[in-house]
Amino acid sequence: MKLKQKAGNIIVYSILILLLIYWLFPLFIAILNSFKTNGELLTNVLSLPKELQFENYFRTFEKMNYARSLMNTVIVASIGVSLMILFSAMAGWRLARTKTKLSTFIFGLFVFSMLVPFSSIMIPLYKTMLMFNINNSLIGLGLVYVGLGVSMAIFLYHGFVKSIPKEIEESALMDGCRPFQIFIYIIFPLLKPVTVTVCITNVLWIWNDFLLPLIALSKNEKYTLLLSTNTLFGQYSSDWSAILSALILAAIPVIVFYAIFQKSILKGISEGATKG
Amino acid sequence: MFSKQKENRILLVYVLPALIAYLLFKLYPAILGFYYSLTDWNGIDQSYEMIGLANFKEIFADVYFWKSIQFTLKYVVVILVVSNVLALLLAVLIESRMKARGLFRTLFYMPNMISMIIGGYMWVFIFTRVIYYLADKSGLAFLDQSWIGDPRYSFIAIIIVSSWGTVGYLMLIYMAALQGVPLQLKEAAVLDGANSWNVFRNVTFPMIQHAFTICIFWSLSSAFQVFDVIYALTGGGPGRATQSVAMNIYEEAFKGNIRYGYATAKSTILFVIVFLLTLAQLKIMKRKEQEL
Amino acid sequence: MMSFPQFMDQWETYADQFEKKMMDEENLKVKVNLEMPSSDQYESILQARLSGNDAPDLFTLHSNNISTYNKAGHLTDLSNEPFTEKLFENVKKTITHDGKILVVPIESQAWGVLYNKKIFNELNLKAPETLDELEKITETLKQNGYTPFLLAYQEQWVPQLMTALTLGGKVSGEVPDWVERMYAGDGSYEEMRDIFGPIDLIMKNGTERAMELGSELGAADFANGKAAMFVQGTWASGTIMQTNPDMELGVFPLPINNNKADTLVNLSTSTTLAVHPDSKVKDVALKFANYVLDDNDSSTLFESTRFNPIATIHNYETDPWVTDAYQYVEEGRSYQDLVLPQAVTEEQGKLLQEYYVGSVTKDEFIKRMDEVFAGAVK
Repeated sequence: MKLKQKAGNIIVYSILILLLIYWLFPLFIAILNSFKTNGELLTNVLSLPKELQFENYFRTFEKMNYARSLMNTVIVASIGVSLMILFSAMAGWRLARTKTKLSTFIFGLFVFSMLVPFSSIMIPLYKTMLMFNINNSLIGLGLVYVGLGVSMAIFLYHGFVKSIPKEIEESALMDGCRPFQIFIYIIFPLLKPVTVTVCITNVLWIWNDFLLPLIALSKNEKYTLLLSTNTLFGQYSSDWSAILSALILAAIPVIVFYAIFQKSILKGISEGATKG
Repeated sequence: MFSKQKENRILLVYVLPALIAYLLFKLYPAILGFYYSLTDWNGIDQSYEMIGLANFKEIFADVYFWKSIQFTLKYVVVILVVSNVLALLLAVLIESRMKARGLFRTLFYMPNMISMIIGGYMWVFIFTRVIYYLADKSGLAFLDQSWIGDPRYSFIAIIIVSSWGTVGYLMLIYMAALQGVPLQLKEAAVLDGANSWNVFRNVTFPMIQHAFTICIFWSLSSAFQVFDVIYALTGGGPGRATQSVAMNIYEEAFKGNIRYGYATAKSTILFVIVFLLTLAQLKIMKRKEQEL
Repeated sequence: MMSFPQFMDQWETYADQFEKKMMDEENLKVKVNLEMPSSDQYESILQARLSGNDAPDLFTLHSNNISTYNKAGHLTDLSNEPFTEKLFENVKKTITHDGKILVVPIESQAWGVLYNKKIFNELNLKAPETLDELEKITETLKQNGYTPFLLAYQEQWVPQLMTALTLGGKVSGEVPDWVERMYAGDGSYEEMRDIFGPIDLIMKNGTERAMELGSELGAADFANGKAAMFVQGTWASGTIMQTNPDMELGVFPLPINNNKADTLVNLSTSTTLAVHPDSKVKDVALKFANYVLDDNDSSTLFESTRFNPIATIHNYETDPWVTDAYQYVEEGRSYQDLVLPQAVTEEQGKLLQEYYVGSVTKDEFIKRMDEVFAGAVK
């Protein structure tokens, strides 16, 4: 029995480690080669770099306007996600609590378009942004993400609110609390697990979204990280060492974010998905 | 507690901010998009005409559109199976061991954090430079293929990369579900003399049915709109050999004859297909869940 | 908004110079915002901007698309701008529509097949005049251990160059009314079957993994001597010379058959710059358009990007391969690039990719192209 278990352990761990190698291989290779000169890279992709070419990184860091692009992305993501959370928590709560035809209708309206492909709204959406003069505006782009993301978020909040006993609110109301106070002091804290999920999934989505910023932002000084990386691809398309170092630079913030918050991220994702 | 009317009023106050953003940036563009599908607008001219359902009629005879649907279906089926099997396998393996559980989970989820544009480029490098080199040096002749250039192999490459990008997410959901299976149940089954496969088949599996519904729903709706991965790897080529529906729509809207109206008609059809499929899937799986 | 991501540095410098010049000469504070999406996204972004009435003040476009954009009202008539005086006559001809000049030409070239002169000289080979000669060269190269052709087909516009050259040569040499008849609906690609002569030869004797190689990486490979010939325009010389400054580059026209009259270089203007009529700062935009061909500064820009001289003010010494190509032009052995609908050009590229991997036959190619042409001019 013991022996069998040991053998089982070895098999399981070897499968996992093999898969892990495959999983991390692209990242590893990209990092390895980003420190080489282009010539070195072309002769041998698997060797260790002869000496670390930080030069690649300095060059791409400057070319991408890294600090500025990073800041822009942070602005868009934080505006988008914070408003999305506030708006959809409010809406999700009331929608779940109100049992009227209007409520069902509005909820249906939100959920209905969750599957509309982005390609069909891209140009009309861009036209709408122009109408309000919020193209080339980071705040405006954040607002657009709110509009695009609330459906899913409301769906999640709506589902979760149903599991909170109604009595809590009712007794607070008896005590003379106003609805908004109830929301802020009682409901919103209770919704925290969903809030974490909504926050994480949407930060990732906005952070990694490409097509919308590509169309909405035409001024270089407003470029997000991914857009700056993309511009660099065009400029250095024959120079893999530059491209790879740009890829790594673009991936670093997400990986740091992940390293810091991984516990809540993993928890948030799995909980959010099972609740929804 | 309140009258219906008052309740509705309160509701509106709370829903309004979300509703405004949603109406402006999602629903209105979606409706406008549908409106364009009834026109012959090319996307750059100032004027266009209403042509009714002519676009939709034309789609029926559009060979390339149906080819791309066919390709997408093939992709959906394969990625659905591959990524779910792989995710479940990982979840079961990781959950069954005590050591380094957190570490494995963290590392396997990592690719999900990275944009597919970024990850796609890394893989392009692997397929065009590294594998070639490996095949050369190690004599692994089977690796020596045109991985992203030959349609026979590029399909495999696409599956490899997109499962790399999606398995982590599915794995987390399965893991959460597995943690919900009570240990006593499994132990009882073992005492009854069931082997580990039987335990999984008869005890665990029914308990994680809900996770299946979610994972399949999610894979289905996202796989149908696949764009990034293919765009980064093959660009849909050679020719149109690996063109997905989303890419076919993109091409119609922005390349060649530039027919924006016609392209939105196609995406309306895509929407209807995805909508019906996911609806059917949810219905079927919900019924199954209840049966168990 | 421009489609020159690979020349970002040069254009940035040029834009700075323009800003400074405006400040110095007219005390005008100008800020040039350069948007340079990668070339495969360029058109979709431009289209989104134009459709949303958010047009860039200036934008680049391929000269073949001038009439489409003009019809949609997105081009300003530049006929009376000072720069037009400076243009070479043969360049001016390529961008004149209905007697009007609607764009500033930027890239204009005579082009055909690029070849590595070092390899050719070593084996005592001369630029071919007929398809038979090209075949002989191919054989000799193979016998001596060289790969004859570099194939980089990942981006569809690169294989498409082969149709541009072969159709152009054949049409200009033998069937001058073919394009006209195609537009009118009574021509066929069947008449052009010859084009597969050189296409087959090239595809059969090229480097491997063509579908994985983009144009820029292909140019770098060519510069490193991976193959002796490359069907690519002289616009690739920037990357080539940067990768290998000692490269000896030559240009010859691609033979289509054994009729020497069909062996011609392609004379075309590809990228041009347009001013949008609705620009809010049209004065400045027009000034920039003129500044592209500035008497003092333009030569440096054109030289650093390795664009060919297109105007009388360009006084830098041209590269030897450019001289090579224009040799043919002077001998009268050139033709104007054919103006085909955008959809047709793109379809040719796609079908050639498929033809290369073997999923489309010659007959299917011909049939499909006839359909697409008919659909595009409907």
